[in-house]
Amino acid sequence: MPTFKLDEREIPFEKGETIIQAAHRAGIDIPHYCWHPGLSVAANCRMCLVEIEPPPGRPAMMLDVLEWDADAQDYVPQKKPKLQPACQFQAGEGMVVHSEGSKNVKEARRAVQEMLLLNHPVDCPICDQAGECRLQDYWLEHQGSKKRMKDEPVHKPKAVVFGPTIVYDAERCIVCTRCIRFCDEVAGDSVLDLRERGNLNEVVLAPGRELDHDYTLMTEYVCPVGALTAVDFRFKARVWFLRSARTVCVGCATGCNAFLDFDPRDQKVYRHRPRENPDVNKYWMCDEGMLSYSRVHENRVLRAEIDGQTIEFERGLKKAAKLFKSADPDRTAIVLSAQHSNEDNFAMLVLARDYIGSGNVFVNGRPGGDSDEILRDADKNPNARGVVGLCTSAPPAPFKELATALAAGKFTHVLALGSDASDPDEVAAFEDCENLVLLTSHRGPLAAHADALLPACTWAEADGTFVNRTGIAQESERAIFPHGDSLPAWKLIAAFGRALGHSFGWTKLRHVRAAMAPDPGAEVAADAEAQSGAPA
Amino acid sequence: MLKRTDYLTKNYGKPDGWKLAAYEAAGGYRSARKALGMSKDAVIDEAKKAHVRGRGGAGFDCGVKWSFMPKESTKPHYLVINADEGEPGTFKDRTIMEQNPHSLIEGCIIGCYAIGAHACYIYVRDELHLSKERLWGAIAEAKAKGHLGARPFGKDYAVEIYVHTGAGAYICGEETALLNSLEGRRGEPRLKPPFPAQYGAFGCPSTVNNVETIAIMPTVFEIGGDAFSKLSELHGINDGGCRLFGVSGHVKNPGIFEAAVGLTLRELIFDLGGGVLDDRAIIGVIPGGSSCPIHKPDEIVDVAGDPRFEPYNGKSVLDLPLGVDTFRGIGSMLGTACAIVLSDAADPVLAYHNVMRFYRHESCGQCTPCREGMGWIERILDKIVAGTGTIEELDQLSDIANSVMGNTICAFGEGAAQPALAFVRRYRKELEDYVHNGGKNQTGTLTT
Ligand SMILES: Cc1cc2nc3c(=O)[nH]c(=O)nc-3n(C[C@H](O)[C@H](O)[C@H](O)COP(=O)(O)O)c2cc1C
Ligand code: SF4
Ligand code: SF4
Ligand code: FES
Repeated sequence: MPTFKLDEREIPFEKGETIIQAAHRAGIDIPHYCWHPGLSVAANCRMCLVEIEPPPGRPAMMLDVLEWDADAQDYVPQKKPKLQPACQFQAGEGMVVHSEGSKNVKEARRAVQEMLLLNHPVDCPICDQAGECRLQDYWLEHQGSKKRMKDEPVHKPKAVVFGPTIVYDAERCIVCTRCIRFCDEVAGDSVLDLRERGNLNEVVLAPGRELDHDYTLMTEYVCPVGALTAVDFRFKARVWFLRSARTVCVGCATGCNAFLDFDPRDQKVYRHRPRENPDVNKYWMCDEGMLSYSRVHENRVLRAEIDGQTIEFERGLKKAAKLFKSADPDRTAIVLSAQHSNEDNFAMLVLARDYIGSGNVFVNGRPGGDSDEILRDADKNPNARGVVGLCTSAPPAPFKELATALAAGKFTHVLALGSDASDPDEVAAFEDCENLVLLTSHRGPLAAHADALLPACTWAEADGTFVNRTGIAQESERAIFPHGDSLPAWKLIAAFGRALGHSFGWTKLRHVRAAMAPDPGAEVAADAEAQSGAPA
Repeated sequence: MLKRTDYLTKNYGKPDGWKLAAYEAAGGYRSARKALGMSKDAVIDEAKKAHVRGRGGAGFDCGVKWSFMPKESTKPHYLVINADEGEPGTFKDRTIMEQNPHSLIEGCIIGCYAIGAHACYIYVRDELHLSKERLWGAIAEAKAKGHLGARPFGKDYAVEIYVHTGAGAYICGEETALLNSLEGRRGEPRLKPPFPAQYGAFGCPSTVNNVETIAIMPTVFEIGGDAFSKLSELHGINDGGCRLFGVSGHVKNPGIFEAAVGLTLRELIFDLGGGVLDDRAIIGVIPGGSSCPIHKPDEIVDVAGDPRFEPYNGKSVLDLPLGVDTFRGIGSMLGTACAIVLSDAADPVLAYHNVMRFYRHESCGQCTPCREGMGWIERILDKIVAGTGTIEELDQLSDIANSVMGNTICAFGEGAAQPALAFVRRYRKELEDYVHNGGKNQTGTLTT
């Protein structure tokens, strides 16, 4: 690979790559606002300027500037080299680039930084971006001085409602056009543009439009400053109190990599945002996925319930197990959930196969929905591939078949993970089921017909593995501790197994994973497919 | 040296001088006919010999620019004429379009042929209504006569010319902003590379030329590239031929004058411009549009180590021939060769304020330094002019302009930083007078 020199470090690059791209890959951050690895180059913020030495034997391009000599009371003409934006300039073999090491670069960045803050309201105390704002970070790193302009800054519209999800503050906007480019290039909906010119520039909506496509929250996320804020997150938390778990979005089968931001003090999740993964979601997530975090706190089942009555957990567990004590395995249905991780489903399968002895395995999940060519999949479950991969002997039967079988009186007992209904029209079939035990995090459509509800964790409260639509197995990390009496579903299943009288010994996730390892089904298939890149 | 020519201006002011009949009576359209009979390479070579330095301000050699167009390409090529003429003090292109539109049309035919284009867009600044009318009239006449269209002069090389109305923004004169505007986009300069020759109008190879650059081409082909170049005193440093010079401001006879390259500012102001109004002293001259640095008449040319400057070293800047490289050599700029003269009746601080207000108003606002820097400079000057500025703020002016210089996407940044620096450097005392005394020792006016 060819290389160039950046502040004394050799940086390898691929032909056609810009200086900033190569540096970024090498883990060196050249300060930037407008550049985003997933968007076209705009080179308008001028924060990434670097000094490039001319090729040997060629003179540097110099510019005439002036310096005021206070002692001589006169201006002294000076020359300075022409700087180049690292986000636009292509790397070349043997090129010598100075970034942090050049005083010209330092001065240029200081100046850009001062100018960006010139008319900025600096209302950090009431700005959601504070704590993760580039203006703040770069002020510390590259400016560190007070702004010299003492006058009233230019005033522009504030709290402009762009749509149901996003609010815009033109005074905080640095006009980097990231949001506009995101809408144009990724969302494919040119709903944002600029109006006016010079320092009156501001982002506006296309006439007659609202910012209402399926990726609006990404505009807030790509905004390097606090100009765009999400209605959902506005004024809810200060980011420095938040911690982030590396999660996988459970909004659909795409399995976008995400960060789930939570406050460890109140054990609440506040935000779901993309985590870069070139093979899955690149830099993006959809609104649905980003907002899906709210399910962690909504409509939860946090206590055991028997016949609709809340009951102490251990007693509930025993009562639920009692329903199954004399169950005929052939008339017992086991329902897996595409909403749950491999670990949870594996535990369910082991319980069914090794202890209950039932081969009547079904799969359930959330009903399908909209899809697009960008990220969103019609399958709104994160682990349908994983569930199928785990069922090595026979694929699980669909939910609808279970409903039909129930209507025909084939099953007396149903033990289900989750309370969703992948086919909402079929829920009525469960009404007459005598022994319906649901191990569930949410009060889904089946919950109303349950004889016993046992509280399971959501994905935010447990570690787990999910296999996305292309077969990539991805681990999602626990963010918060389990709420209420809920347990990670695999743990709940093991406890249920023990309550049934079996020696179901798992108490740690690694026990489950160790048991899964010799029969890695999903992962092997998954990897093979991931390499071929074939979508499911 | 003052040497008047009248290749472009001979019909200026004559009744119906802009009509085809007058143009053809003076030999018009022979050059295009001739060029279409030559090979494309020969046309480009002839243009190169003429050393026509771009008349739009940057002074790039036109023939060389044409040679950058790809020889082989699957996409259409376009010639785009920059008739946005927005540079303050510059009003030469407009005279061509109004009084000699056929020279531009004929030049467009030659230019199209040279770069392999069959379509030419003339991007005219919106306010120039008479220019547009005359261009439309000239296109209609040329078409009716068969000079333009499917078979110009019976030759198998179709050329169509379209007049496109701009919407009146100075930045749309920057060639890539012009292309965006032409395409119906926001008039913002594009990133370069790719340059227009690779990726121009509608993503196709394009050449953008100034009106005058193209309008002089018929003359080049009439008298021959080399002979044309030799009209100029600066022929030896590749700045050939004749051009339109303008002079405005405090002169008795402001206007546009055609002369051979080699003319000095002194000749332009005194011989052509009739001298300074009320015969007052000059306090400053901007050589070619407001983006160029302003000079004081007592500035002496002193370029060491460059033999080209030997004849001029020690002379006043007013006696340096107005050429692209002569003015670049002294750290200045020729720009559009339309000079602005300030007599001592004028207040340079107000002139400075006026110029910088323009650049604040016209910055497209893409780049941080230009967008914010221009606003900041304007504010400081607002305060200085109002008598509320401080020395601290005055000191900041050069700092701000330094930060804009060279750090932007397009040349607007330099074009605005140059006057910002040149004024503060030369009129610091006057600015200080505003800070300390509210400018009571200044004239407080821009008019005489
Ligand atoms: C801010 C700005 C404004 C400009 N305005 C004009 C203009 O009004 N007319 C013009 O011909 N060139 C203008 N130019 C120069 C053009 O970008 C370009 O160099 C020119 O049209 C090329 O033509 P030429 O090579 O024939 O001179 C401007 C440049 C800048 C940076
Ligand atoms: S709103 Fe944010 S992303 Fe959009 S242009 Fe302004 S600063 Fe950039
Ligand atoms: S330098 Fe000024 S005018 Fe040119 S692109 Fe940047 S902001 Fe626009
Ligand atoms: S990152 Fe904004 S100019 Fe390069």
